[in-house]
Amino acid sequence: MNIVVLLKMVPDTVEELNVGADGRSLDAEFLRYKLGDPDEHAIEQALLLKEKHGGTVTLVALDAPEVDDVLFTALAKGADRAIKLTGAESPPGTPVLAQAVAACVRGVWNPLPADTLILCGSYAIDDLEGELAPWLATAFEIPLAMVVAGVQIEDGGRKAVVTREFFGGLRGEFELDLPAILGIQSAEKPPRYVPIAKVRAAMKSARIDSQAAELPEPPAGLELGRMAKPEAAGHAQMLEGDPDKVADQIIEVLAQQSLI
Amino acid sequence: MDPVQISLLGVPGRAVLWALAIAAFGVFGWRIYQLVGLLRQGRFENRFDRLGWRVGHFLRNVLLQPRIFNERSIGLPHFLIFWGFVLYAGCFNWGLIRGLLPFVPIPYPDEVPVVRLFLELFAVLVLAGLGVALARRLFFPPKYLHLSFDANLILFLIAVLMLSNLFGSAFTQVAEGSPATGWAPFGSLLAAALSGVSKGAAHSLAIAMWWLHMIVVLGFLVYLPYSKHLHLLASPFNVFFNNPELPADLTLPGAPAEISAGASRWQELTWKQLFGGFSCAECGRCDRSCPAAAAGFPLQPQQIIQKVKQHLLATTIDQPRSAAGSPAPSLIGDVFTEGEIWACTTCMACMNCCAVWNEQVPLIVTLRRHLVSQGQVERTVQDMLANLTRYGNSFGKSDRMRAKWVQSGGLKIKDARKEPVEYLWFVGDYASFDPRLEEITRKTARVFQAASLDFGLLFEGERNAGNDVRRVGEEGLFELLRDRNLQTLAKARFQKIVTTDPHTYNTLKHEYRVDGRPLEVVHYTELLDQLIRDGRLPLKPRSNGPVTYHDPCYLGRYNRIYDPPRRVLAALGLELREMPRHRDTSYCCGAGGGRIWMEDTADVKERPAENRIREAAALEGVRTFVVACPKDIAMFRDAVKTTGQEGRIAVQDIAELVWDAVENAMTPAKGATA
Repeated sequence: MNIVVLLKMVPDTVEELNVGADGRSLDAEFLRYKLGDPDEHAIEQALLLKEKHGGTVTLVALDAPEVDDVLFTALAKGADRAIKLTGAESPPGTPVLAQAVAACVRGVWNPLPADTLILCGSYAIDDLEGELAPWLATAFEIPLAMVVAGVQIEDGGRKAVVTREFFGGLRGEFELDLPAILGIQSAEKPPRYVPIAKVRAAMKSARIDSQAAELPEPPAGLELGRMAKPEAAGHAQMLEGDPDKVADQIIEVLAQQSLI
Repeated sequence: MDPVQISLLGVPGRAVLWALAIAAFGVFGWRIYQLVGLLRQGRFENRFDRLGWRVGHFLRNVLLQPRIFNERSIGLPHFLIFWGFVLYAGCFNWGLIRGLLPFVPIPYPDEVPVVRLFLELFAVLVLAGLGVALARRLFFPPKYLHLSFDANLILFLIAVLMLSNLFGSAFTQVAEGSPATGWAPFGSLLAAALSGVSKGAAHSLAIAMWWLHMIVVLGFLVYLPYSKHLHLLASPFNVFFNNPELPADLTLPGAPAEISAGASRWQELTWKQLFGGFSCAECGRCDRSCPAAAAGFPLQPQQIIQKVKQHLLATTIDQPRSAAGSPAPSLIGDVFTEGEIWACTTCMACMNCCAVWNEQVPLIVTLRRHLVSQGQVERTVQDMLANLTRYGNSFGKSDRMRAKWVQSGGLKIKDARKEPVEYLWFVGDYASFDPRLEEITRKTARVFQAASLDFGLLFEGERNAGNDVRRVGEEGLFELLRDRNLQTLAKARFQKIVTTDPHTYNTLKHEYRVDGRPLEVVHYTELLDQLIRDGRLPLKPRSNGPVTYHDPCYLGRYNRIYDPPRRVLAALGLELREMPRHRDTSYCCGAGGGRIWMEDTADVKERPAENRIREAAALEGVRTFVVACPKDIAMFRDAVKTTGQEGRIAVQDIAELVWDAVENAMTPAKGATA
């Protein structure tokens, strides 16, 4: 199989996030980037498919701080090739990212081999709607499934049967013809651990292909107006005392709200 | 009377002795050759250095066997049997040479009066020892003592050796009609009892006893390397080749990279790790001391050692013919379960009591290294390792939050990277990040300030020192953390390092090197002790106890720091009541070796920390449980809650007690001025 995983670095929320001077971007001073959880699962799903069906896993990522560590870690886990797209001054919006990635993939495979599966995270903390995968599907004009939590390959690599997750614990199975794009919510197994010694070995033996990104002008559309930190609107009220007293207070609160 | 000058079924006695000796030594030698051949297939590890230390270690621990005496019932009996065995083995070889080589101008050993006396004395002492040993096995065996047929057979054979000597002495006396002699006190007694035996019969019986003795020893020689009593040959070497740096320093000596990937097959263990099983006497001391075994975790340190031996022999020289060609079982899965490998807290209780100085903890870490290299790590541990890789702490917090306790406590502390300090305080993860410990960390800082100590921190430059990381088996990450810390330390100016965390203390002290030299590291209990003795801390105690003190594994057993914390408690005027298990028999809280990051399995009977709190709660009048380790605060405060001891016993850090007394001394006395 020809498995391509698109990786996107996102701000690490463990670090302090502040709004920058322009009021429309994050302050870069304490900003660190990491791979989002769904992207970690996309890598794992790709590796699981490779282990089951053979083939190669190619990683594509836009250059960002610490992206090399992420790529070498994925190579140490078993990915075969890593491509880093350079040249973007600041993180571009999702449509531009999708175009750049699509151009890169086309540069390697044109047309896409019939057994190609493109995986990416089904959302990212700066793309909660999960727009990346639909933009890519549009660019390649191939089928798309989002919020995927399991992938079976059938018909000798011509079809994928995927499990999608819905609200309320519902799950559905969908069939797609390959090539296809999947937005991965979670892999079938939790992402594996790769020891530092293997990552270091990968840094010595493996190589990251750097390519200049083809970055089109962003399409007209929504524009970011202002960024702000959430403001506390109210606080939780702690009810204290023995259980009887707390029960009385709960009844009082509910009565005040006309709920009982 | 020369026992060899007889004819056995028409064959001269000497020829028979030659035949028996060649056969026995041949089988023995072949087996030893095979065993050594197996060891040579293990990885090389240099245990041939520091010969002076080795000789001293050997003399003390093989000849005097102090660790055998750590269990009173069997201490003296084993000591007597051992020395009896040494004497008898020497005399056996002497007698054999005399018997085989008539031209050598020496008498038989028992023809020398003083030797005969010693042989008789030891025969009786050994028989008494055997009696105790057998009674212990039959009537009051301690838990985990391996009760094998093998062991009883050996006791029986040794008894035969002793009795054949005594009876031989007696029959010789009867046959020669010689008078009772002080050189053969017990032989003389027996001879008196056997005086009814005719001289001729006594002569034959004396010779028969000699032959019985020789044949049993030769049989023993053959049997020994096939039985658990190989320990008596192997353990002196095991002691000699011991590495005193283990397990405090798990640095792989001159290690090629593959060693950090651990062992998945026996050939990937070092020869010394393979050798441990040959030395194990199956006494069960390690199992009895193991907190994981007591808690019901699937770990018995003795089994770790034994399984290596059984696996090694069963897949090689003792492999049944039917099994030839079948795929070799893998170390993990077929021989060890993951559960037993992860259950170890690396508390070192096993290694501390092992009478043959086996090295269980490094072996377990070697197996863990393999699991880590395969990514087979529990989810919670993976998360911790990922946090440590990215943020340098196991809490998954930004490294810039490391010294938050300084600002939020309104403290002013020097930055050792910017100005020189005498003491660099390496705070460690728990004391820095755990909200339960913040206040204790601040109190420690205030105590240092009250003593006008010149100290500073690395602030966000500090990383986890890597003690637990290394013991979990993530050698690569340990090296990464260590290298980052060393880079930061190289920029700081300080004379000594102080830390409150015994795990950090151990690793900085033993596993870090700057230009090949170790760092000078002190534990805060040592520093507090020093400051108090120098009169730099004003103390006015508020209470006089009684309290009990828990020795942290990595401070006590690992680094033998037992007295400084006790002196601090004494200086505070606190009466110390020791728990039954204290100093080097202290009982692990269950957090070490990365266990603090792991889930307890469902079948745990009683967590080590709970067991420990119950031990303390049983002490009369003790309401304070003093610790000197940040992780102990976390572990034991939990255990106080889960054992329902809240309000009855409180866990306190020694720094809190010191701060109480310092604060009290610094506050102007109320009432005095009123």
